[in-house]
Amino acid sequence: MRDWLRRLRVMTTKELLQLSRDPVLLIILAWFFTADIYIAGSGISMEVKRASMTVVDLDQSEASRELISRFRAPRFQVKELLFAEKEAAARLDRGERMLLLEIPPHFERDLEAGRSTEVQLQADTTHTVLGILATGYAARIVGGYATDRALEKLGIDDLQLAAMPRVEARRRVWYNPNQKDPWFMSISELMTVITMLSFMLPAAAAVREKERGTIEQLAVSPLSPFQILFPKVIAMTLAILAGTAVALFGILLPVFEIPVKGSLPLFFSVTALYALAVSGLGLVIATLSRNLGQVSMLVIVVLMPMLLLSGAWTPPEAMPWLLRELMVISPLYWFIELGYGILLKGAGVALLWKKAAALGLLGAGLFGLGAKLFRRQFR
Amino acid sequence: MNRARILAVAGKEWREILRDRLFFTMAFGVPLLIMLVLGYGLSLDVENIPFAVVDHDRSELSRDYIHRFSDSRYFHLLGYAENEGGLSRLLAASRIRLALVIPDRFQERLLADRPVEVQALVDGMFPYRAQTLKGYLDAIGAEWNRELLVAFLGRTRGVTPERAAELAAPVRLQTRYLFNQALKSDWSMASGLMMLVLMVSPPFLTALGVVREKESGSIYNIYASTVSRGEFILGKLIPYVGVSCFNILVLWWIATAVFHAPFKGDPFFYYLASVVYVICTAGIGLLVSILVRTQVAAVLLTMVITFIPAMLYSGLLVPVESMSAEARFQARLFPPYWYLQIAWGAFLKGLGWRSLWLPVALLAGYAALLWTLGLALFHKRPTR
Repeated sequence: MRDWLRRLRVMTTKELLQLSRDPVLLIILAWFFTADIYIAGSGISMEVKRASMTVVDLDQSEASRELISRFRAPRFQVKELLFAEKEAAARLDRGERMLLLEIPPHFERDLEAGRSTEVQLQADTTHTVLGILATGYAARIVGGYATDRALEKLGIDDLQLAAMPRVEARRRVWYNPNQKDPWFMSISELMTVITMLSFMLPAAAAVREKERGTIEQLAVSPLSPFQILFPKVIAMTLAILAGTAVALFGILLPVFEIPVKGSLPLFFSVTALYALAVSGLGLVIATLSRNLGQVSMLVIVVLMPMLLLSGAWTPPEAMPWLLRELMVISPLYWFIELGYGILLKGAGVALLWKKAAALGLLGAGLFGLGAKLFRRQFR
Repeated sequence: MNRARILAVAGKEWREILRDRLFFTMAFGVPLLIMLVLGYGLSLDVENIPFAVVDHDRSELSRDYIHRFSDSRYFHLLGYAENEGGLSRLLAASRIRLALVIPDRFQERLLADRPVEVQALVDGMFPYRAQTLKGYLDAIGAEWNRELLVAFLGRTRGVTPERAAELAAPVRLQTRYLFNQALKSDWSMASGLMMLVLMVSPPFLTALGVVREKESGSIYNIYASTVSRGEFILGKLIPYVGVSCFNILVLWWIATAVFHAPFKGDPFFYYLASVVYVICTAGIGLLVSILVRTQVAAVLLTMVITFIPAMLYSGLLVPVESMSAEARFQARLFPPYWYLQIAWGAFLKGLGWRSLWLPVALLAGYAALLWTLGLALFHKRPTR
């Protein structure tokens, strides 16, 4: 047993040394855990800001001006106010403007007479995020205006409003009250980085020995396949944990001011568990391929869907049913649930143990498969 | 430049690709697979959001109110909780993204013409989803209130329901979605994914192609041969660019035939622009391969340089218009931003040379720059 542990330790040291002597790789690692996360977190937002719009006011009345004045910064930016339809649509077609609001003639007259009228909004929805959000805001503005006009017309003031049936929804947003995008983006990017590295590094380390033929040396040594394989994973996981600490204490907390609600030791344990699970997947791939070219192609095939569909960048709920169900075999899916739960929501072991168990089970399965396949190569 | 030598290098490279069967399959298979999987799955729609309710009233009206949410395609009722504590646990465990608390005497107050306050708790973890959710909440709530007002007017002022409806909503907004009428992210996504796939796969192929020779040492054969630097690089990359040019067609076919994205533009223009883009992204791979010596480093570096710009700074997921000024400037430095203009322009808007010459010219300039740099930095007498 003591020998066993010593061999493990020696091999782990060997892997760490090997890693520390590859300067390019170290620079890439440093970049991944600092600048890369900073770039992804800063300046990026999925919000509608200054959506450029053209307004065609065919009524030119007080009522129409009142409505137009409600489309204002920071969400909207009225670039020009036209009094005829000519040329307006062309600006949209050319992609210069995103929205075109058209107020019909007799807008005020209809309002005064209590006839319902219709304003038209044309939106460039090439970009779906902007399309969904901007038209939503516009609907809210016009709806609010309509309600105000209706109450005014009916002569209902604030006092009478208290004697009317209506449901007021008091909304509160938890965990990120001001919906700061950097909180989400930077954590997502950190998870992406951890995924890429824990996938690629052990797989590469394993296949490199195969390519260079040094695996023969290891095969004749008194080491078991597990003792060859596991130190690689330990070494890379240690490197990844160190990187995560740098990213967390160097970027996420000081720069983006993410309020960590949960326990950091728990987060690091989950990260270690996740790195182990993903490196198991990497080992499976490494045994399936003969050279790094093949490894990296296989890695992309698995990595891209995993990164993009697990919910790190898009809301996963709208995915087709089958894919959504399939995502339970993606370790990242579980890591996202756990990571955000701990960091932003302050969830503890009591709430998360099932998910952590799922991740652990998945990891054990993948790792076991990887080790078994790898062992078979020695025969 | 000797054509025979370029062809010889290209022929050798092509044979190498052919003989590595797994690599060959994947050179074509990877883009196809990624396009299919992401095309089906990657979507920015906010739909089917699980929510839970604490209904302190348990009346007919409160159930009706909840049904407004659960019947829409945006929400999916997970169930009822006993109290607010249950809701916050569900939110913390990410089982639900929205929680509604309906107070007691909900029905009683509404029937007595009194306002009621309902509490809505939104999970703010993913800000875009939270924003969109709030929009849906408002829309459903406004519609509910309008109906209440119509009924109220009918009762108190004795007007007909039609007249009351007109009075309650004097202005309506009619929205027309241009270029993507169904407001499905599929269309934008399918065409946009061509940008992502063509940004990631060509550089991987080229970078690995060159670094493989470096790592195995077979590049010394080239160093010692009469093949010049330019001939080597050109010959080496022609097969990879060729593979990607073929992949453009396959991807285009998937986008239009499988995902039914409308293609309104000029196919010839689009193909040509895509080839320029592929040459440009292959140039990124070339540059990477010259900077590093090992394949691991090449793969990781390629990921760094291609993934982030293609995902976050292209406009595919995150709208460039709403970024900060520096980020907007950064986005314009990367080729994916320009190619996405071309892809969306050609697919959804039917634009051609006249409107899109600038992005194509920029990509061509980018490609020229990368290839020149690659050529200048590649030496047959390595210092290391």
